[in-house]
Amino acid sequence: MSIVWKRGVELVLFLLLLSLVSFVFVKLAPGDAVKQMLRLDDVAVTSSEIEQQREALGLNKPVLVQYGNWLARLAQLDLGNSYMTNRPVSEELLGKMPATLLLTGSSLLILLLIAVPLGALSALYPNRVIDYASRLLAVLGTSIPSFWLGLLLIEGLSVKAGLFPSMGMGTPSHLVLPALTLGLTMSAVYVRLIRSSLLDSLSQDFIQGARARGIGSGKILLRHAFRHALTPVVTMFGVSIGSLLGGTVVIEVLFAYPGMGKFIVDAIQSRDYPVIQGYMVVMGAAVTLIHLLVDGANHVLNPEMRLKGEKR
Amino acid sequence: MRKIISLSLFIGLLLLAAACSKGESTNGEQAQTPVKELSFLFNFASQTIDPHLDYTPLRAGVVETLVKLGEDLQIQPWLAEEWSSADGQHWTFKIREQVTFQNGKALDAEAVKQSLERAMEQNPGVKQVLKIKQMEASGQSLQITTVQPFPQFPSELVHPNTAIMDVSAPEPDKKPIGTGPFQVASFTSGSSLKLDRYDKYWDGAAKLSQAAFSFNEDANARLSALMAGDADIVYRPPVESMEMIKGDASLHLDSVVSLKTHELIFNTRHGDFQNSYVRKAFDALVNREELKDVIMGGQATVASGPFLPEFSFVPDYEPKETGLDAARKWFQQAGYEVKQGKVSKDGQPLSFKLVTYASRAEFPLLAQVLQSQAKELGITITIAQVDKYEDYLLDKDDWDLGTYSPSIAPRGDASYFLNVAFKPDGPLNFGTINDSELNAWIDELDQTVDMNERHALIKQALTRINEQMYYSYLVHPNTLVVYREKVKNWVTSKSEYYMLTNVLDVEEK
Repeated sequence: MSIVWKRGVELVLFLLLLSLVSFVFVKLAPGDAVKQMLRLDDVAVTSSEIEQQREALGLNKPVLVQYGNWLARLAQLDLGNSYMTNRPVSEELLGKMPATLLLTGSSLLILLLIAVPLGALSALYPNRVIDYASRLLAVLGTSIPSFWLGLLLIEGLSVKAGLFPSMGMGTPSHLVLPALTLGLTMSAVYVRLIRSSLLDSLSQDFIQGARARGIGSGKILLRHAFRHALTPVVTMFGVSIGSLLGGTVVIEVLFAYPGMGKFIVDAIQSRDYPVIQGYMVVMGAAVTLIHLLVDGANHVLNPEMRLKGEKR
Repeated sequence: MRKIISLSLFIGLLLLAAACSKGESTNGEQAQTPVKELSFLFNFASQTIDPHLDYTPLRAGVVETLVKLGEDLQIQPWLAEEWSSADGQHWTFKIREQVTFQNGKALDAEAVKQSLERAMEQNPGVKQVLKIKQMEASGQSLQITTVQPFPQFPSELVHPNTAIMDVSAPEPDKKPIGTGPFQVASFTSGSSLKLDRYDKYWDGAAKLSQAAFSFNEDANARLSALMAGDADIVYRPPVESMEMIKGDASLHLDSVVSLKTHELIFNTRHGDFQNSYVRKAFDALVNREELKDVIMGGQATVASGPFLPEFSFVPDYEPKETGLDAARKWFQQAGYEVKQGKVSKDGQPLSFKLVTYASRAEFPLLAQVLQSQAKELGITITIAQVDKYEDYLLDKDDWDLGTYSPSIAPRGDASYFLNVAFKPDGPLNFGTINDSELNAWIDELDQTVDMNERHALIKQALTRINEQMYYSYLVHPNTLVVYREKVKNWVTSKSEYYMLTNVLDVEEK
């Protein structure tokens, strides 16, 4: 229980620090939300009218005062309203979350479907055809930009073959191309990671011991080797989920997929401060929780780690 | 090996399942929906379709404004049949009869009043645009008093965020209720807006029964969507694909001059650019024909001044001499030394900083051409690409020249542009121009109701701007739209405000 309490306090302190740093950096960056709000590119306003609007929003106050005001609202679970849409930031973020989670989940599924069998086969049959093929695939996957791969998939599977829609969302088929693009690109890293991790695992003494005890090779692979090899993979998986949740911007733009990545880039461009701050807090909390889950999973998977923890 | 085959089969099945789900969906839709549907793909995503915050509902034919900008660049009646004012401050608008909102409610002056009040409350920009002090509604008559004499008030009502909607709509950001030919079926923010025909549209029900207004900010992806059959009309396809589009008989390419003007800005806070002859020298250095044909692939019209020549208030500009010799001549007139073709001041070579931005691909290229032209005169130009461009131009003073492309007459009237670009506190007065004579004319224009007098004042101001070369106006860029041959009655509007209309049609399958 004390660990949960300690982690909870750590989480709150981390989020406070994150929100302060992001708030200050966003405010220091050039650009002005008021000019965007007033749509200066087609509205004739004077400099004094811009200043009046800035005052009305409290944007003329010192940054730390603005941060304090924001924090006070956050304490009441109020993330404020978007400057661009006038809607509550919490509603905006919650509205985008399902699309992003769906894309993230599908991409991870494709990643697992490709990387686990290929990485395992590559480790089990080193320097054989399958190993060379998977390594080649891994090199290709890491060197092809995801944006370009996306365009290739659109050209091949949408324009030429007419199998999937090239953009938008709505039906499961809309998800295939963006998820494939992300899944294929990321699986390249995992194929190599699983291969090397499994090779390392297979060379461990406890595997030799298990073999000496006459345990079957299938059981050794699934119960012992894989379990040991999963620790770095699960850790990396946590990082990937975080990056997928926040960083699928290019793919979202290419496939006109209305997720959180694209939304936050638009918010940054228009200096929509409440949205940017709300996003930082929500994503900070989500990524931290994912890392906590990854830690927990590693403790379950790796008895060695569990023992070390107990010794401490 | 068996495992590989199993895995391949599994992935294959996954793809097939997804493909089938698409097929089912499409077939299902085909069975349920009438034949006449159209998919329109735009280049900017909307996060909301509240008409008072976003342009998409007007573009998609969901809402309408009181006044619209015609293709002849004259304002026309729309939801307001007529309007009048004796003093430019007290206005009477007669609201069109027999118009209903898409929920069946009749449109009257009270509904218009409530909608305008909401627009001003929701959008501070609209409040600034309209400058309304008071409104009174009676039947179909709406009396509006502005805070000051405001002769261009009707043209400000062209602004898409002044569109009229039923304010009692429960979800105006997701399902606004307007008077247009299409009503919202569903909206996915940042992705697409699905529309159904509104059968009781006052100007005749739309020929299309359904339409989709989708967004994709990537030009290549937009073209791919057209080629894949996911879109029928695509706004701003990639310029480099024009030849391919022209070679495809099933596609039609529209290239229409826009209401924007590419310009060269001079920082008149700096000594060199306080001299109008120096500004004229730089104006002469730009070869507009080359910019239009080579850099912009022919998709532009050479500019003589800020406004398109179609505007009746545009003066007859004298043709300008361009090239290195013309530039040398202007530098000499400015009092600079020209020896062996090279320009110097007080024996020192000249050096300037030109700032530009990347979102208009032609600007960095134009900057490089200008840099090489200036080099011929012994002038060094350093080029910098900056982010948050407008803020940079206004807040920093370390630049001498800049490129920009403002909307010159978004609502058909010249006073917007003259106020924002030339008045000392104008938010787009990047060059810090402060010409007392010009300021006085703009002030007078803002108080003048008589159209002939207004045109005379605008002409006078434009002539002055040209003589002083406060900005160098280069080209009016074109708007490109590509659509399938089956699409009928599409009009690429200069204003970019009107897209899906009741006459837009597709040939039956």
